Amino acid sequence: MKKTYIIAIVMVAIAAFIASNAFAEGGVAPYANFSKAAETGESVKLVGTLVKDKPMVFEPLKDPNKFSFFLEDQDGTEREVILLKGKPQDFEMSESIVLTGRMEGSQFIAKDIQLKCPSKYKDEESMIKGLVE
Amino acid sequence: MEEITYINEHLGPRHIGHFALLLAFFAAILGMVSYFMATHHRAEKLRSGKWQRLGQLSFLFHGAAVFTVIGCIFYAMLNQYYEYQYVSAHVSADLQQRYIFSAFWEGQEGSFLLWMFWHVILGYVLMVTARRWESPVMTTLCAVQVVIVSMVLGVHFGFGDWVIKLGSSPMLLLRETINAPIFQQADYVALLKGNGLNPSLQNYWMTIHPPTLFLGFASTVVPFCFAVAGLWTGEHKAWLKPALRWSLFSAGILGIGILMGAAWAYEALNFGGYWAWDPVENTSLVPWLLLVAGLHTNLVSRATGQGIRATYLFYLFTFVMIVYSTFLTRSGILGDTSVHAFTEMGLEAQLLFFLGFFGIGSAALMVWRWRSIPVPEKEESLSSREFWMFIGSLVLLMSAVLITASTSLPVYNEIREYLNPVFDGVTLTDPEAHHNRFQIWIGIFVGILSGIAHFLRWREKDFSKHSRSFLLHTLGAVAGAVVCSWLTLLWIDAGPWQFKLMLFSGWFAIWTNVDYLIRFAFKDVKVFGSGLSHIGFGLMLLGILASGANKRVISQNQFLMEGLSDDEELERTTVILIKDEPMVMENYELTLRGDTIDGFNRTYFVDYKRKDAAGRVVEEFQLEPNLLYDKTFEKIAITNPSTKHYWDKDIFTVIMSLPLEEQSLEEKRKKEDSLKYHVVSLTPGEMIDFKDTLKISQPDTFMVRDYRVSLENFARVPVHPDYEPEPKDIGVSATVAISRGKADTVYREQIALVLREGLLYHYPAQINEISTRLKIDEDIFEQLLTPEDQLDYKEFVVKPGSSFRLGDKELTFRNFKPQPEVDHYLPQEGDIAVSAQLDITDAAGNTGTMEPVFIIRDKTPSRIRDEHREFGLFSNLVNLNPETSEATLLIAQAPPRDAVRVPIAVATKSSRSDWLALQAIEFPGINLFWIGCISMMMGLLISMVLRLRMR
Repeated sequence: MKKTYIIAIVMVAIAAFIASNAFAEGGVAPYANFSKAAETGESVKLVGTLVKDKPMVFEPLKDPNKFSFFLEDQDGTEREVILLKGKPQDFEMSESIVLTGRMEGSQFIAKDIQLKCPSKYKDEESMIKGLVE
Repeated sequence: MEEITYINEHLGPRHIGHFALLLAFFAAILGMVSYFMATHHRAEKLRSGKWQRLGQLSFLFHGAAVFTVIGCIFYAMLNQYYEYQYVSAHVSADLQQRYIFSAFWEGQEGSFLLWMFWHVILGYVLMVTARRWESPVMTTLCAVQVVIVSMVLGVHFGFGDWVIKLGSSPMLLLRETINAPIFQQADYVALLKGNGLNPSLQNYWMTIHPPTLFLGFASTVVPFCFAVAGLWTGEHKAWLKPALRWSLFSAGILGIGILMGAAWAYEALNFGGYWAWDPVENTSLVPWLLLVAGLHTNLVSRATGQGIRATYLFYLFTFVMIVYSTFLTRSGILGDTSVHAFTEMGLEAQLLFFLGFFGIGSAALMVWRWRSIPVPEKEESLSSREFWMFIGSLVLLMSAVLITASTSLPVYNEIREYLNPVFDGVTLTDPEAHHNRFQIWIGIFVGILSGIAHFLRWREKDFSKHSRSFLLHTLGAVAGAVVCSWLTLLWIDAGPWQFKLMLFSGWFAIWTNVDYLIRFAFKDVKVFGSGLSHIGFGLMLLGILASGANKRVISQNQFLMEGLSDDEELERTTVILIKDEPMVMENYELTLRGDTIDGFNRTYFVDYKRKDAAGRVVEEFQLEPNLLYDKTFEKIAITNPSTKHYWDKDIFTVIMSLPLEEQSLEEKRKKEDSLKYHVVSLTPGEMIDFKDTLKISQPDTFMVRDYRVSLENFARVPVHPDYEPEPKDIGVSATVAISRGKADTVYREQIALVLREGLLYHYPAQINEISTRLKIDEDIFEQLLTPEDQLDYKEFVVKPGSSFRLGDKELTFRNFKPQPEVDHYLPQEGDIAVSAQLDITDAAGNTGTMEPVFIIRDKTPSRIRDEHREFGLFSNLVNLNPETSEATLLIAQAPPRDAVRVPIAVATKSSRSDWLALQAIEFPGINLFWIGCISMMMGLLISMVLRLRMR
């Protein structure tokens, strides 16, 4: 069985190496902020909150794959975001927004978006309201 | 606080269910202890037999109790007893019966019960078939059941201020889970309604996918139990045979279960694919990989005695990974990294115990028995089949390790944050790319290994005898695979070299296994199962490559945006389809034809025309993507794709967005309110011009535009293509012509307004070319409606041709007219209608006519009033006597009124809403993926059946 053990160990080592390599190469990273994204210029994941009093523009008849809004990152920096998709549902209700994309000048070009929405039943009162006719 | 005596609560199921839960728990404990004793005293037949019978009895009761709990929940769900928390959370009055099962396993408790249900069934099968393995195997199964039942036990222990909550009971009443003023009312039950089933689960796949997946999940416990039994009893070889059959079964079913999830995602979800490397998907794939690795080493162990330790480890950790997957998906730890993890239920500690107990327990058993597990003296040779099968298993293990590591990042974060609160959690920047990058190598290796290993022989001692044949067949396969790959490349574009290598590997696996099947299928029928599985694997690789790497977005973005990379441009996959305006994309022409609403479901009809290079239409078909509104029509709950299947490709279409006002009633109202209507009052035939100013934002200027509106026709009945009559409707309609500016184009539109049970229904017209919206203003009814009780009717019974007087008017009943054509009566099918034609002359010699109508509709007679406004006359035909041909008329004189001036409301800045944003993707060769996966699973199940029949 020795040969197989050696191979097993080698393979696990390769796996560990590949994995750690991938994780080190920026495959895995903490959420970035705008300044970090501008520094690297590469694709990052970024978390922030919607700036509600700045314009949100989605004009599907002009371009259904473009939605722009302003996001405040965790450090309080505000930047315009160009999302290369339509406006997601319940966008205004989001508590926080996770974007995948890169900085281009002063804009953040986002390929992907994930919304963290507050649970439908924030409190028992509204939950009960939903259950009573 | 005063105790409230609630009325109308249905507590029967609760009492029975709660008792059954306790019974299930204690019966499982008793079963575990009894079977343990039976195993422990296995040397003493009599003693062991008694314990075993007690164990059997306990497990029978345990099973009956589990069925009872499930029955109680179903009973409460079917009867919609909303006082039960589980019922109110998952059922609603409008839930279709066929989704009741989906509703049952939507919640954590239900899915735990489903899991236990299968364990019970499997336990019963084991009690009949496991023979001498029954006691040790059932001991472990009972132990697992004890832990799972405790998850739904819902028992609280108090130690001073500490309350330990053991499980979350599905039998809890709503008032026990939350505190709300409503529960101060004794009759609160009548006020409750259900929350209902998540719309994305209202799909037939959700009826069959969870039970299959859970049968797969549950069945992994059997190889685990056998492995524990083998270690415990020290019979390290005897357990391998029954374990192999069970793991073949388990791998087949679990695989089918996962595959059904993929099919559901592809058929019902909108992300356009079947696999997204979502943590929940990953954690169900990992046990499958380990199980498949385990059954390969199991085959090796049975054939050569090698690798028993590996088999133990694989089977033990398959189940541990099932528990780990349960922990990940149900503890809430995945949080925002997965779209379909359950939310927290306060069971984290218990789940962690579950994981720790079986994880550490398995490891401890292995350590305890490690030295006693037999290992053959002689190592396997490099040219033996078992050696390469080992390597294959290790590749699968490597895949499992990599997937688990990436999927466990949230766990890693949690631990780091626990140790260091300021630690920022890390995430995968691009999970799909990350996983694909590694797993492609797993695919390549497994494909090649599955071919080579089959060409080698067990326990090869003298390879030189067979090396010629081996080389011949291998080289043949390489050549064949190269040619096939080359041919495939003519069809699809495989992209980077790694992909081309995977293509080769897929063909190599197919070629070698077909070769192997042809050579050996008649000698050894078992070959059939493994051959089928491995050919399936090869096909799956081809399918992944064809459909994944070559998916072609038909709905490519039509709008220019500067400075985007190719990757980013590829993300822009939505196009706008405007109703009846064909849109040409790639080699397709798409046209939105319209839509229908049925309940909460709205279906759109999109015509596809496929064209050849010369632009000729070669094929036409229609796809029907649809969406489901939530129960208030305030938002879109889910969009469902529609897919056209061909043998060599799929055309996939899904709605990405709708106009805001079509997404929610609230928005529709808002838009309507925001429109500035200009009301013009017209009599039929009249025409009017008006001006409208349009503000242009940049620069701040105004534009003045002329409009010309004319009322071409007016009817006191609603005539509109979308109008569906209902009894007691009152309505009006008009034909309006409108033009803008000096343009010659005149738009002629039919509009209507209906009053139905006190509510107004508009049938407006939207003219997109001039962004104008037309409707009849509600004020029209003030001119029309005169309540019957304000009229002073006089009755006249008259024959045709006779005249009579009312005040200063002379009326002549000219004749009856069947099927009258008048503007206040809208004929419906099956109507029997007759009108009385009346001529009127007043003192000044003015003349006019009236034509009240008498109808029999659905065997009920009724009448339609006619009015002569200038004369102020109202007339009704209330009866007609067929024998005397006399008409009974009710005529009333009221103050005269002016002719109706129809108020037409015109909004000149109304944007169009007859469009949708659509995504259309072509998946070539996706059937290769499905066929490949299905063959893989079928191969596993066929192997199991063949092995069962051989005994």
